[in-house]
Amino acid sequence: MRIRPAGVAAALICALALAGCGGSDDKSSPTDNPSANAGGKQGELVIWADDKRSAALKPFADKFGAENGVTVKVQAISKDQQTTFVTASQQGSGPDVMVGAHDWIGNLVQNGAIDPVQLAAEQTSGLNPNALKAVTFNGQTYGVPYAMENLALIRNTDLAPEAPKTIEALVADAKRLKDAKKVTETLCLQVGQNGDAYHLYPLYSSAGGYLFGTGANGDYDPKDLGVGKPESVAAFKKIATLGEKGSGALKRSITPENSIATFTGKKCAFLVSGPWAITDVKKAKLPYDISPVPGFAGGQPARPFLGVQSFYVASKGKNKALAQEFVTNYVTTPELAVALYEAEPRPPALTAAFDQVKGSDADLEKFVEAGKDGQPLPAVPEMAAIWDPFGKAEASVVGGADPAKTITAAGKTISAAIK
Amino acid sequence: MTATKLGGPEVQARPAVEEKPDKKGTMIKIPLLGITTAIAIWAAFPLVDNEAWIGLAVLIATTAGLLYLYLTPRHIPLKYLAPGTILLILFQVFPVLYTASTAFTNFGDGHRGSKQEAVTAIQTASVTQVPGSQQYALTVATTGDPATGPLVFLITDPVTRQVEAGDADGLKQIEAAVNSAGRVTAADGFTVLTVGQASVRSAEITALAVPTAGGAIRSSGLSRAYEGRAGRAYDEGCDCIRDTTTGRTWTADETVGAFVDGNGERLAQGWKVGVGFSNFTRVLSEPAIAGPFLRTLVWNLAFAIASTGGTFVLGLLLAMALHSPRVRGRTAYRVLLVLPYAMPSFAMLLVWRDMFNTDFGLINNLLGLDVDWFGGSASARLAVILVQLWLGYPYMFLVATGALQAIPRELAEASRIDGASAWGGFRRITLPLLMVALTPLLISSFAFNFNNFNAIYLTTEGAPFPADNPANGATDLLITYTYRIAFGGGGAQYGFAAAISIFIFLIVAVVSAASFRRTRHLEEVHA
Amino acid sequence: MSWLKQVGWRHLVGVLMLVFALAPIVFVVSAAFNPLGTLSSSEIVPTGASAANFTRLFADTEFGHWFLNSIVIAGLSSAASVFISALAAYAFSRRRFRGRRVGLLSVLLIQMFPQFLAIVAIFLIFSTVTDYWPALGFNTWWGLILLYLGGALGVNTWLMKGFFDTVPRELDESATMDGASHPQVFFRILLPLVAPILAVTALLAFIGTINEFLIANVFLTDAGAKTLPVGLVGMVAGERNANFGMFCAGTLLTAIPTVLVFQLLQRYITDGLTAGAVKG
Repeated sequence: MRIRPAGVAAALICALALAGCGGSDDKSSPTDNPSANAGGKQGELVIWADDKRSAALKPFADKFGAENGVTVKVQAISKDQQTTFVTASQQGSGPDVMVGAHDWIGNLVQNGAIDPVQLAAEQTSGLNPNALKAVTFNGQTYGVPYAMENLALIRNTDLAPEAPKTIEALVADAKRLKDAKKVTETLCLQVGQNGDAYHLYPLYSSAGGYLFGTGANGDYDPKDLGVGKPESVAAFKKIATLGEKGSGALKRSITPENSIATFTGKKCAFLVSGPWAITDVKKAKLPYDISPVPGFAGGQPARPFLGVQSFYVASKGKNKALAQEFVTNYVTTPELAVALYEAEPRPPALTAAFDQVKGSDADLEKFVEAGKDGQPLPAVPEMAAIWDPFGKAEASVVGGADPAKTITAAGKTISAAIK
Repeated sequence: MTATKLGGPEVQARPAVEEKPDKKGTMIKIPLLGITTAIAIWAAFPLVDNEAWIGLAVLIATTAGLLYLYLTPRHIPLKYLAPGTILLILFQVFPVLYTASTAFTNFGDGHRGSKQEAVTAIQTASVTQVPGSQQYALTVATTGDPATGPLVFLITDPVTRQVEAGDADGLKQIEAAVNSAGRVTAADGFTVLTVGQASVRSAEITALAVPTAGGAIRSSGLSRAYEGRAGRAYDEGCDCIRDTTTGRTWTADETVGAFVDGNGERLAQGWKVGVGFSNFTRVLSEPAIAGPFLRTLVWNLAFAIASTGGTFVLGLLLAMALHSPRVRGRTAYRVLLVLPYAMPSFAMLLVWRDMFNTDFGLINNLLGLDVDWFGGSASARLAVILVQLWLGYPYMFLVATGALQAIPRELAEASRIDGASAWGGFRRITLPLLMVALTPLLISSFAFNFNNFNAIYLTTEGAPFPADNPANGATDLLITYTYRIAFGGGGAQYGFAAAISIFIFLIVAVVSAASFRRTRHLEEVHA
Repeated sequence: MSWLKQVGWRHLVGVLMLVFALAPIVFVVSAAFNPLGTLSSSEIVPTGASAANFTRLFADTEFGHWFLNSIVIAGLSSAASVFISALAAYAFSRRRFRGRRVGLLSVLLIQMFPQFLAIVAIFLIFSTVTDYWPALGFNTWWGLILLYLGGALGVNTWLMKGFFDTVPRELDESATMDGASHPQVFFRILLPLVAPILAVTALLAFIGTINEFLIANVFLTDAGAKTLPVGLVGMVAGERNANFGMFCAGTLLTAIPTVLVFQLLQRYITDGLTAGAVKG
């Protein structure tokens, strides 16, 4: 017989490949991995969130597990949480509970990925009405909100002691500071190379533009697309006056990565951002104050989008009853909401928790005040078609392109995608 | 790994006679095949348990095939190819075929699952609390064993604190002790389940609906129950969804995979259906795709060629420069020069993007420029190619260094003695030999760069975009362009994306195959 | 003058390339040591020097686990992948069989399919695998290694096949004449001759795996099971720029194993081909 060490080695590789390096037989303990046929005696609850929130959730999940004699696993999805959740759910490897933004709801519902939750009257009355409205879709409540966020104007009170009432006043204030060489930028409002619809929206709405009209019941109506309509052209003409060829308040070189840092580096006196920026501002030891995003003089109020972070019950979870128990009866307790607030300072959606922390954190009420005129971020799946073309239209107009031509083209692209 | 260790002693042993390794080879081979078999048996148990007979048949056939392959003296090439091929089929060929098959379906957001799943989703989403009804404190109990006995909902009226027991037949009043929250602590004839016990039977609890006059009592978690009613129900007779209050109906349309009413309005929850070639015809007919296609293709080819060629020239030049024992500090040079490749590329792409910022970027500031890099077509294209050069040259540098080392120095020296100049020696001797080794690599590098999604997606995202067309930018590759169309609006459209990918795939395949044909002669230098 | 012609230009090229290569990296270093940890600056010189980002990285995240996972997964899968590739490259280079060129082209083209589409299929496969064989399922080293090995027969095979082609065929033909069998030719003649390229391939495979994000992101969800890229992206995703300093610190640390592997393999890459082997 001829020798074939190559063949032998190849067989070994196969063996390893097939067995995951052999020795793993005895490692296949069911506690490490959920196994369909090894149901086990204990119930298991799997929660997915992003990295930061999963770290904050962990102690509470463990407590819930210990109190109830179940295993709770909190896992972090680093990127593309929504897509990963939908795909994993569809194939049966998704979690029981998902944590995410409320504007996912439309897409999650059309994919049958989440179930409505049935909250008792005393539970819904304990929630901020705006937050509750945000998680309501087609008349059903789809998640339990725990935190809210919206944009506000954060200013360096050393440089700008007074909050400007209009965007024109802001530009004038900034011009004085620039002339005095105290700052180099007018306004830190992130635009970036391809625009940022979320951060532009307060100005767009103040200038009279809208994205979707609202139906009789107050829900967004995807058939009434505001982008490309005369109102949007007028709005973009106003925005163009703030652009690089205008007053220079909006610049493509202010990006999501550098906008907060430029503010904390004292290169601009005004920052349009949300509660997430406060951690950095505090770290930089800047004196600051928070006020509503100013609108155009004589225009409508600037309406920032209201976003809500929420817990969802996965439709295809393996342990739905326990997931419902966790989401509807445990998440609605103030302790958890406060802990999540401490992990990231966003206003809690639970009124009891909000009241508990507002005393020690004056910023919260200011953010809520800034969001008074806000609109819930549309949760309809059609919203996905808006972001990209709308943002690019913004970038083009800020860069000096013709507003009418640009926004009309964006409207066409969006309506083609929505159909 | 073990396998390489196995290779080690074999290489070092230098036996003159043949019998010795023969014995040794067999000694290694038999246990290995034994382990393979043992593992196959280990893998078979779960398949048998779950009655996955097809899986079992594949496993047995594969194992038997492997045993035969390595015991017979025939099929020598296959012995070398089998391990890689099996893995390739499992984790590459299967996913690709699966993906390609979705090109013939409407697979995507809103059309991911089966019709049955869509019906379930519609019904579940329509369950609402009966108007005017109240919520109850719920205790999950059983009349038998906690793990297997029939489930009963013990519900407590929040006002009267009267307890009722409910199962699939309906409700009846019982006597029970309740705590302050209204939950039952003990009741004759019932065993109260702990949360742990109940959670194991989660699916049964979710499925249990206790019929009432107005609807049904369902659980909301494990401690509350509500009286709910499904607002929409599936009717098999008409194959439609009917709204139980308004009577409005949506009829199943199997060609689009959705329930549609008389006005053409669809319910959001649809299902996956075959759509034939319509995704492909859409690629050809949709003006948003067909319009800028040629322009994008030309740039795409230019990008791939520039990235591959540029990194190759740069890498080779560097390898040549350091390929001399007279250069001091070669080791330090090499380590530092490989660093761009050692850094995680996704992170460095983001860093580069910031370096190109008009007002704050390192490049403009250091060089005193005021270039709007990503704002103009030419500068944006130059920028992304520059980034690719930075990211990619160490690869070519390493490969070229390895290749230069592998060329017997005698050959190069021989050319010197013949009186050829350094450059002439390089061109006539070194370069042809290098090309033998590197041409396949250049082809594969071209194919990779042709589809280099991250290079664009993490830097310009396709920018700059013409003001009148936000769908196609100057630095867009076909793949980023596809991604935007298929995933940008109206959710993910996997079927459509797969169809576009097949077209792109065909383009890459034709270009690669054509250049591959021309390499045939290169293989035979030594033959 | 002759020094300049023979050695000087080499240094010139080397130094110019170093500037190009290191400028962005210095930028990352500066951000990593900047306690404010932002990505605003065009400052290439750190505005502050502190190791806070590094200490926080270990204190606040499971960085140690990520590091270990990455090294084990990248180490094992690149070693196995090089071996599998070498086997296949031998067959493609030295054996003549039907479907050889088609096979070679296919292994390349099959990998040209966009991975973001294959994610769905990977979920499909591994949901089943996790149910049947949890030891190979989601969140395990072995599952991910297996998945990566699916690509072993790909670009690396091409690379090695090209190098096998440069080894004069007379060498193995004469060995075969002397009575050597094909495994002996492979292990004792070819492999030592292509040692530099085995080392290069191993390094490339290692780098490719340790930086892989797309698949690892969906495959590893347990905080302790993640690899470096997944963990690092998780730190900055959705966080705006809050953790950028930590991110840069992590990026720098991620480069360390690669540099070490390179150091380890460098002697094979640069001195690999022993004259003795050719003569023998």
